[in-house]
Amino acid sequence: MTDAFTFDMLINYLMIGAALMVLGMVGFLARRNLIVMFLSAEMMLQGTALTLVAFGRYHGNWTGQVFTIVILTVAACEASIALALILILFNRKSSLDVTLWQEIREPGQPLTVDDPSQAEVEQFEDGPETYPHLTPAGIEPEHPTWTVHRN
Amino acid sequence: MDIFEIVRAIAVIVLGASGTWLLLPHRHGRIKPARSTLVGVVLSGIALICLATLWKPPTTFLAGAFFYLFALSSLAGAVLTITSRNPVYSALWFAAVVLSTAGLFLLSGAQFLAAGTIIVYAGAIIVTFLFVIMLAQKEGRATYDRMARSPGRATATCFLLFWSLLYALIALKTPPGLKPDDATDSRLARGSNLLIAKGIAPNTPEASVVHRALSPTNRLPDIDPGTTALGRHVAGLGGTLYTDHLVTVELVGALLFAALIGAIAIATPKPPIRPVQSNPPPPAS
Repeated sequence: MTDAFTFDMLINYLMIGAALMVLGMVGFLARRNLIVMFLSAEMMLQGTALTLVAFGRYHGNWTGQVFTIVILTVAACEASIALALILILFNRKSSLDVTLWQEIREPGQPLTVDDPSQAEVEQFEDGPETYPHLTPAGIEPEHPTWTVHRN
Repeated sequence: MDIFEIVRAIAVIVLGASGTWLLLPHRHGRIKPARSTLVGVVLSGIALICLATLWKPPTTFLAGAFFYLFALSSLAGAVLTITSRNPVYSALWFAAVVLSTAGLFLLSGAQFLAAGTIIVYAGAIIVTFLFVIMLAQKEGRATYDRMARSPGRATATCFLLFWSLLYALIALKTPPGLKPDDATDSRLARGSNLLIAKGIAPNTPEASVVHRALSPTNRLPDIDPGTTALGRHVAGLGGTLYTDHLVTVELVGALLFAALIGAIAIATPKPPIRPVQSNPPPPAS
């Protein structure tokens, strides 16, 4: 009886894991939004977890899955701390741009200067879900005044 | 090694890199024309199909169909996660990646992990959603979402890494003359064949390591016909987790506790550590 999870299946899983890891790395390096960078890091962890599970299945023991549980826990810790950090960083600069934090870079590294004037703003047309403009509901009525009668 | 496979792997790398680069935001935030986005989608799709032709389909039809479904949707979701201009869409595509990966876990016999991944990451994605809704600006307004940090160099570097991984994996593939599960094939021996395939003598440190890795608690059920495993599915995983890996469980619990304290300590609003000393406080009398 041959195992259904052959060596070639293991190679399939390793290829998918490598591709997920590499795409996550592209996102982490190229994107500037802190939240998207965080998601990319999680995607790299997913690729690694896939690799470990496939290796464990191939060798017929639970070690790969145990290691993946550890990865899952570390990912949860990373998520909590990363989101707390994102909150703090957003409170300081009111922006999720990672480039604003260049002053904590390694000494000797050149400053990256962007030219935001070249950026073009995409114009979005209002879709059908946008709220309609309500017509003003007339003039404000005169407020009633009360006089207190004392006996 | 098949030369045709090498050609397809090169096509995966070149087309995938150029497609991803076309789909990523522009370096200076210029709007990319719709034609370049279309070309990027087509190139990435061709690269994905080329990668799929490098896989060897599983023996049963149903497992093969689900394998291709989950694998292709996870990779397509990954490309869309990193190229979406709107972080809300990124989070949604990441949810697709997580669901597909959970399906792949299920196909490779990790039932508990499939459920656990969905539970953990569903919570994480909902929290990310909250953060996006709280913090991010409206679509198209945030400059940094439409500017990429040197996308060409990042894509080239990462796909060079992918090329090296893919080449190593293709070089490992079973040559055509050999049966897929030949016992004489010792390139990557399975756990139960390790002692024979690597020629490890008994009563050596290596042999004790192998025996420890193949203890009855640590063995997947239904793999080797001649061996016994203690539990199936979640019972087996729990068995190995609380016998062989007890220290790991304790360590991981401590790590979660430390991360909890750290997150609370970071996120609590507090006065700055070094406040600006504009008016020094009066000396204590």
